[in-house]
Amino acid sequence: MRLEIDWTRCDGHGLCARLLPERISLDPDGFPVIGDARLDPVADAELLRPARAAAAACPVLALRVERTRPHA
Amino acid sequence: MSALAASGTAPGGTTGTVRAWGTARLLAGTGSRRRVDLARHRSVHAPLRSYDAAGLAEAAEAVRLLGRGGAAFPVAVKLRSVAPGPRAQVLVNGSEGEPASGKDRALLRLVPHLVLDGAVLVARALGTGRVTVAVSDAEAHASLDAALHERPDRGSFRLQRHDHGFVGGEVRALARAVSGGPALPPGRRVLPTVQGVDGDPTFASNAETFAQLALLAELGPAAYASVGCAEEPGTTLVTLLGDVPHAGVVEVPTGLPLRALLGEGTGPVLVGGYHGTWLADPSDLVLSRPALRAAGVSLGAAVLARLPHDTCALGEASAVAHWLASESAGQCGPCVFGLPALAAGLDDLARGGDAVACLRSRAAPLPGRGACAHPDGAARFVASALEVLAATGELEVHRRQGQCGRPLRYTLPVVAR
Repeated sequence: MRLEIDWTRCDGHGLCARLLPERISLDPDGFPVIGDARLDPVADAELLRPARAAAAACPVLALRVERTRPHA
Repeated sequence: MSALAASGTAPGGTTGTVRAWGTARLLAGTGSRRRVDLARHRSVHAPLRSYDAAGLAEAAEAVRLLGRGGAAFPVAVKLRSVAPGPRAQVLVNGSEGEPASGKDRALLRLVPHLVLDGAVLVARALGTGRVTVAVSDAEAHASLDAALHERPDRGSFRLQRHDHGFVGGEVRALARAVSGGPALPPGRRVLPTVQGVDGDPTFASNAETFAQLALLAELGPAAYASVGCAEEPGTTLVTLLGDVPHAGVVEVPTGLPLRALLGEGTGPVLVGGYHGTWLADPSDLVLSRPALRAAGVSLGAAVLARLPHDTCALGEASAVAHWLASESAGQCGPCVFGLPALAAGLDDLARGGDAVACLRSRAAPLPGRGACAHPDGAARFVASALEVLAATGELEVHRRQGQCGRPLRYTLPVVAR
């Protein structure tokens, strides 16, 4: 799994950084910076729920938790 | 069409010439910048051999052909990613939105049929008859338009002139634009090979890539690879500008030392253009995309520039940074806010400010945070400029004096065409 941001949608609301501070911080303009986008179903199991919560909370649906594609 | 006969004007804003050093392949038949019409083209080049998709990919792989637009993606891989059939499409990207680059315009103005032959070659290999050629330069458009009128296979082609700017020439933005959509990179990762023009599988590449494919089909892999270096055989087009012995567009065999192109000057060198990398001393590098990549440098749009000593180097970098900021498509926050911040930071340094660390920290998080690679390229340009201008003492002079005493000569052109 992987955290993906559609940058054309993101308005820098910043909820994602509050809900998933382990992986997401904000730059000086309030836009998210993802530390590590990968979410291993086993190693990062405890982050999957807050990651999905962050994606669901994004007001413009810019953040997604996607299945890793072979060439992504 | 009389303007075409006198196509001696330099491409774009750059002053200079168009010439081949050594083997003229792409530029064969152009003599002293003479446009090659169909009759002359047919006398210079053998008729096209037909390839199926697998055969063409195999030939491209044999000569390690890389895309000539900037990303240097392997052509064979891209060919194999497009599902062949009548739905497939071919997109020739002649946009060349980078003001410092003149190579694609030179090619399209002088040898339009070679590019069109390459497009037909790919279309036939993919079993389709749908080719779009997109171009922004007026003279290149006129040259292509005249060329299409000469060709019996013109029914396969759709020629579009656009003025979508730098980011609008990004291939996914262009694929959207020629499909009737906005000239903006899509926010989700869609590859043109899967979903390109009109949503169809599309082989899209830079104009020079198609000309190289036409040469490959004409010569065959062995003869094609008889010049140039082993890791990227053949010739390549480069735009040279600034303090160089011969400014302009050149076709050269790959593998040449960069100093053979840049001369003996000592000013800082920009490799790859406005998404490229500044180097204080490129003298141990050679002109080969794989070799440059191994050295952490991208050949990008194949622009090589050396700043002369009578211009303000920091001002040059700042002017380009402002241009890059102004060319943002305005879609993605990190680019919209980050690029003007980089440009303003360079201005501050020029006036004697001391914001180097701050500027580095603004550039560092930009890569990967946009729908396209514009913020990545801008960050690379600014971060490497900081490094080189610190090493040459330029930043220190500005910090002490609030200026360097040299005028900004705009060696690096930033005025939109």
